[in-house]
Amino acid sequence: MSLLEVKGLRRDYGALRAVDDVSFELEAGTILGFIGPNGAGKSTTMRILATLDTPNAGQVMLDGHSLVDTPDKVRPLIGYMPDRYGTYDDVTVFEFLDFFARAYGLHGRERARRVASVMEFTGLVPLQEKLTSALSKGMKQRVALGRTLLHEPKLLILDEPADGLDPRARIELRELLRALADQGKAVLISSHILTELAEICDTCAIIEQGRLLATGRVADILAQATGTAVAELLVRLFPGEEGEAVWARAERLLLEQPRVKQVAREGDALRVRLEHEGGAAGQWVDESAARVLAALVGAGVPVCAFSHRERNLEDAFMHVTKGRVA
Amino acid sequence: MSALATDTAGTAPREEARRGLLERLGDRLNPLVVKEVRQGLRSRVFWVSFGLMLLSCFILSMVAYVSTREGALSTKGQGFFFGFYVCLAMVHFFIIPYSAYRSLAREREDETWVLLILTGLGPRRILRGKVASFLVQAALYASAVGPFLLFSYYLNGIDLPTILLVLVLGASWLFFLTVVAVCAATLADGRIGRALVHLVLLGSLGMAVMYGLIAAFFLSEQGYRSVSREEGFLIATGACLWAMLSYGWLLFETAAARLSLATENYTWGPRLALTLQLVLTGVLLLGLWLWDAPPAGAASGASVLGCLHLAITGIFVATDVDGQARALRAHTRPWSLLRPGAVRGFRLVVVLMLGWTGLCLGFLSMSAGGRGSDMAHLLGVLAAPAYTLFYLSLPLVVGRLPQSDRLASPAVMRVLFFSLSGLAGALLPLLAVLFDQRVDDPLFNLLNPFVGMGNFNDYNHSLDEPKMNLGLLACVWLVAVLTAFAADRALVERERRAHAAS
Ligand SMILES: Nc1ncnc2c1ncn2[C@@H]1O[C@H](COP(=O)(O)OP(=O)(O)OP(=O)(O)O)[C@@H](O)[C@H]1O
Ligand SMILES: [Mg+2]
Repeated sequence: MSLLEVKGLRRDYGALRAVDDVSFELEAGTILGFIGPNGAGKSTTMRILATLDTPNAGQVMLDGHSLVDTPDKVRPLIGYMPDRYGTYDDVTVFEFLDFFARAYGLHGRERARRVASVMEFTGLVPLQEKLTSALSKGMKQRVALGRTLLHEPKLLILDEPADGLDPRARIELRELLRALADQGKAVLISSHILTELAEICDTCAIIEQGRLLATGRVADILAQATGTAVAELLVRLFPGEEGEAVWARAERLLLEQPRVKQVAREGDALRVRLEHEGGAAGQWVDESAARVLAALVGAGVPVCAFSHRERNLEDAFMHVTKGRVA
Repeated sequence: MSALATDTAGTAPREEARRGLLERLGDRLNPLVVKEVRQGLRSRVFWVSFGLMLLSCFILSMVAYVSTREGALSTKGQGFFFGFYVCLAMVHFFIIPYSAYRSLAREREDETWVLLILTGLGPRRILRGKVASFLVQAALYASAVGPFLLFSYYLNGIDLPTILLVLVLGASWLFFLTVVAVCAATLADGRIGRALVHLVLLGSLGMAVMYGLIAAFFLSEQGYRSVSREEGFLIATGACLWAMLSYGWLLFETAAARLSLATENYTWGPRLALTLQLVLTGVLLLGLWLWDAPPAGAASGASVLGCLHLAITGIFVATDVDGQARALRAHTRPWSLLRPGAVRGFRLVVVLMLGWTGLCLGFLSMSAGGRGSDMAHLLGVLAAPAYTLFYLSLPLVVGRLPQSDRLASPAVMRVLFFSLSGLAGALLPLLAVLFDQRVDDPLFNLLNPFVGMGNFNDYNHSLDEPKMNLGLLACVWLVAVLTAFAADRALVERERRAHAAS
């Protein structure tokens, strides 16, 4: 049985249906990324899962308890970080965490131990005497993450935690989340930064206008959505003495290869689009790439660089959503 | 870490034990008190106002010292006491309540209160923690001014009981203002609403300072001995304290309800507070009547005041959301009037109003009677609930017509309530004048909540009979009951629809 089971969730704001028949499951120890354009209903869903709001229809089971009917029972299992992680003026990092530990009903040694271990985990020990209001965004966000961990929840719900972080802070966040998942926590995270999510998440769910359009692994979503798997090759040429004629020759040669659907000139390189019927499975990309390279080199085309990439989450997102915003 | 622990345990076991005790004490405290006091003592507002207050007290005492050295026998204590008290009052009646308001308002603006709610602290403990932490800060200020107040006693001209009376009443005023300010922070949601509450609060606190100072001046002028002999003063003070306590409690419960989630039984607190407030006030009044039966006019006065209170609180209770969260429905019975939902709120107010009317009828029968004007008082006691019922139901019927959603928002219905009763009060007399009748014509003003109520209480001494009669009263009641029935049906229908939709 999954830790979190969401079935047929619906939330209306007057005539606006912010969340419409959303269902998914989340296992312990996995990270699920929640992706969607602005106003898609990510925060609304997460607020419901954090017991801050009630759905108009649907059921959510967390660890065998109904989150809708017995919110008090499941609340201790949830760590929720809203998209605005508020901090207090005139409170140090230690005092902030200590306060929330008290609020969670932790006493004496146990509280000191928990606060210390959270500070250790999030790397806040050197900053513990600093005022929270004076911290950088990345550090504030760590304090907020630390706060959600104090009561050792089983499910973490993080609303756009990577928003506004610099690349380094994002990588650090990714490592923290990975470590949490390895500890057996289920993590639900929403984001706009798709490439980031692809690296963090085990599975992802794409939501638009309140509806879940696709769920599963990134590659599976792509295949599911298009029916054809797509990849891209980037071929750089060194024209040398042959001059401009080499481009036309290479292009013709490429289009003769199986699975090549499209070739476009981009500066001193050619972008080659490969398509493969019948899903994303298999190593067809590597196989095709090897064949294409062999053909080019065999025909004496001066290739100076060659790379390929599978289509990523961003492509999946662009394909699955159609830019409709509620 | 463990090596360190054994080290300290070895060298200073007593130190350890004491810290353990302090820590256990700290654990028992409301977490918010610990946080707010830490935060408050670090804030600039605290140190600036603390410094200014001490400085002005110090200057005042220098002046007092110089002026008493010149005059041989001094009786200036009273004036200087008031001077010191002004310094304290500025902080206690303005800065403390205002900071308490800002503290919770920011918590809501920054949405940190959501995090607090999720910890399981509960809205009541959050509010209590806020109030308590600012009272602790107030106590710090008071302890700094305390020596100066005592010093004014040694200047002669004021006795200790008077000082104590002023301080105790001042403390209850501080407590009330802090509760009101904290609760006010929960009342508005949107930005405009917040700005409005902010402005109203600032104005009210300014007036509260004035009022507190005037009362303190009056008390210190009169002295404890002369005021304690006056029965009227005692009753008025008692009534004020009771009103502060019961309204403070009602507001506190309302604020807690506003901070609760829809899945909780959030109306239980405020509705219970309203019920108990009415019951206890009834008991207190009963005691007053048994002790010294007031004239029959007091019974109709009690009826009018009680119904006015119920009408104004009632329009807030009866404009709760339609229906309940699914988690609550299973345990809701037809008589669970304290549970969420507009229809139950409306019924609770009606039941309370009927109970209050019964009590007032009892008062009337206990009052010294036997005169012709008794009939007018009886009509007065019975008319007040009829008007209340009518004007409470009317906006509900208009706003919650089962088909329309446009006017159904609570704010609109509250505005409707005030504007409908205001319009009726102003237009019906005008109509009477237009038709060449007297302004307070009984028939034209039959549904006028102000003039009509006055008419029912009126006694025509020249004719030796009441101005109105039972037939007219029955008309008003008939209209009121029909409207109330329609309102009840409309609310039931809306609740059914709300439940069907989710
Ligand atoms: N309290 C509310 N009252 C009315 N409508 C709301 C409320 N909260 C959200 N909505 C609406 O619900 C829809 C979904 O909002 P939500 O905040 O869940 O989107 P989101 O996916 O989190 O977007 P973003 O990426 O901008 O954070 C939006 O159209 C929004 O306007
Ligand atoms: Mg959002």
